[in-house]
Amino acid sequence: MELKINGSTHQVDAAPETPLLWLIREDLGLTGTKFGCGLAQCGACTVMVDGMAVRSCVTPVEGVVGREIRTIESIESDALGQRVVAAWVKHQVAQCGYCQSGQVMAATALLQRTPRPTDAEIAAAMTNLCRCGTYNAIKTAIHELAAG
Amino acid sequence: MKKAMTCLALGGVVLVAGGAWFVNRVVYSPLADAPLALSPALIEKGEYVARLGDCVACHSVAGNPPFSGGLEMATPMGSIFATNITPDKRSGIGNYSLDDFDRAVRQGVAADGHRLYPAMPYPSFSKFSDDDVKALYAFFMKGVTPADVPNKQSEIPWPFNMRWPLALWNAAFADSDPYQAKPGQDEQWNRGAYIVQGPGHCGSCHTPRSITMNEKALDERNANYLSGALIDGWYAPSLRQDPNTGLGRWSEPEIVQYLKTGRNVHSVVTGSMTEAFNNSTQYMSDDDLGAIAHYLASLPGNGKDGPPWTPSPAPVAWSSPGAKTYLAKCSSCHGQDGRGQGQWIPPLAGASSSMVSESSTGINATLNGSDRVIASGLPDAYRMPPYRNQLTDQEIADALTFVRSSWGNQGNAVEANEVRTLRDKTDPASPDPIILHMR
Repeated sequence: MELKINGSTHQVDAAPETPLLWLIREDLGLTGTKFGCGLAQCGACTVMVDGMAVRSCVTPVEGVVGREIRTIESIESDALGQRVVAAWVKHQVAQCGYCQSGQVMAATALLQRTPRPTDAEIAAAMTNLCRCGTYNAIKTAIHELAAG
Repeated sequence: MKKAMTCLALGGVVLVAGGAWFVNRVVYSPLADAPLALSPALIEKGEYVARLGDCVACHSVAGNPPFSGGLEMATPMGSIFATNITPDKRSGIGNYSLDDFDRAVRQGVAADGHRLYPAMPYPSFSKFSDDDVKALYAFFMKGVTPADVPNKQSEIPWPFNMRWPLALWNAAFADSDPYQAKPGQDEQWNRGAYIVQGPGHCGSCHTPRSITMNEKALDERNANYLSGALIDGWYAPSLRQDPNTGLGRWSEPEIVQYLKTGRNVHSVVTGSMTEAFNNSTQYMSDDDLGAIAHYLASLPGNGKDGPPWTPSPAPVAWSSPGAKTYLAKCSSCHGQDGRGQGQWIPPLAGASSSMVSESSTGINATLNGSDRVIASGLPDAYRMPPYRNQLTDQEIADALTFVRSSWGNQGNAVEANEVRTLRDKTDPASPDPIILHMR
């Protein structure tokens, strides 16, 4: 199978139902994307597929062949990603940091589709869990990004 | 007058005596005194027939020896327990002759003459061929290890625990003849009909029951046959050609794939079907699965199911109360378009569970998640998690109402009290792979 990840093409050899996360981390060594719950509950494994935030631990690789996959490693390859990361740094969002690659991917996907999200839209899109409780900092950062 | 009284009394005595004879008689088995060599080939064939009948699902519980019984089955009158059918001479059926065994399997009468409860699907098993009964006997006598595990007493109180009235129930509701090939249908169709009606006992779950607890139909001559029924908090869907609530949009190869691998692009096994898949259908030969599919595809829908589902171009109501829960909890796997992920994660758009008026399957799956689907010894990669501790009754009802009214689905709304009822009656599915061995 051929996967398009972060702008380059990778040949992978895997059973069709293998979760995308397994390939990203184990086969391709892109370990910025984290394993959290394995049940699509926490969002630590969030990547983008064709611009949509997707939980890669429950995404069978068969379904993403030929689509544009983006992981945290390429987040600063465009202007929006750079702005999101800068806002995260400015507001010192991360504490332990484990969930943050997923948080950043979810926030970037939201702002890409909805540059000026309302509170309700932010709440609906940012369902990733953070055990350190960095939610207020995340919300502040996204609000600042939404204000331009 | 006195004479009339005497006549009436005499008539009464005759009736009671005749009735007593009828309910206590030794029922006929064509296999009495049939010579039988329990050859390895016959034992192996019997093991396959036991797979067709899924005997292990009820007569074994995880952690105990195979076929030593113990599964609890709730009835409105109290629990009953599946019995030990290992060849142990004390606790099992080690003293059964072939015709004793035949009477139990096909007619629901134990060797000591007591009637079995029809939780044992003998109204279906009566369709077994003589040859398959012989093979089953060979397997249970020589292929299964004896286990001295005592049977548990049923919890049904007197007078309902009297067994003789079941003889009358049987006379009214159970067939007693083996399957007869239907003229005008080809060999594949007849093989499929035999497995579905007989060993597979598909109707035990998928055919609605009357108030007297009998299946409303035992074969395709009646449109109630396999038309869908509520069972144990799940809705076993129609297996007829209803385009939305049945198998009308499934091809025969897709039916085969579902029974062989537990999944296809339309659905993944849930509820008791997971057990039927884990222990039975995946072991069936390709020819037998093809025959089952061919037979099921011949059962017409009831015509009240509306036009076949197609994806609706109408916008999705993302502001409805259930949409937020759906986006947060469901969409990662089932998709914002409700289409799932190929055969790996089932679609909710166009799914029979989203279209049928009974919403139990959706509620139960959301509350309790799914049991492990174990195909060829491997547990599935994607399992529906239980949400009973994360979502309230109202949130689940709203999310399911959203699912059942989006993407072209035409299901009715779900009420919080329906969720409440099932929450109280059901338990979360086990995340552990459970494999019931037969040997």
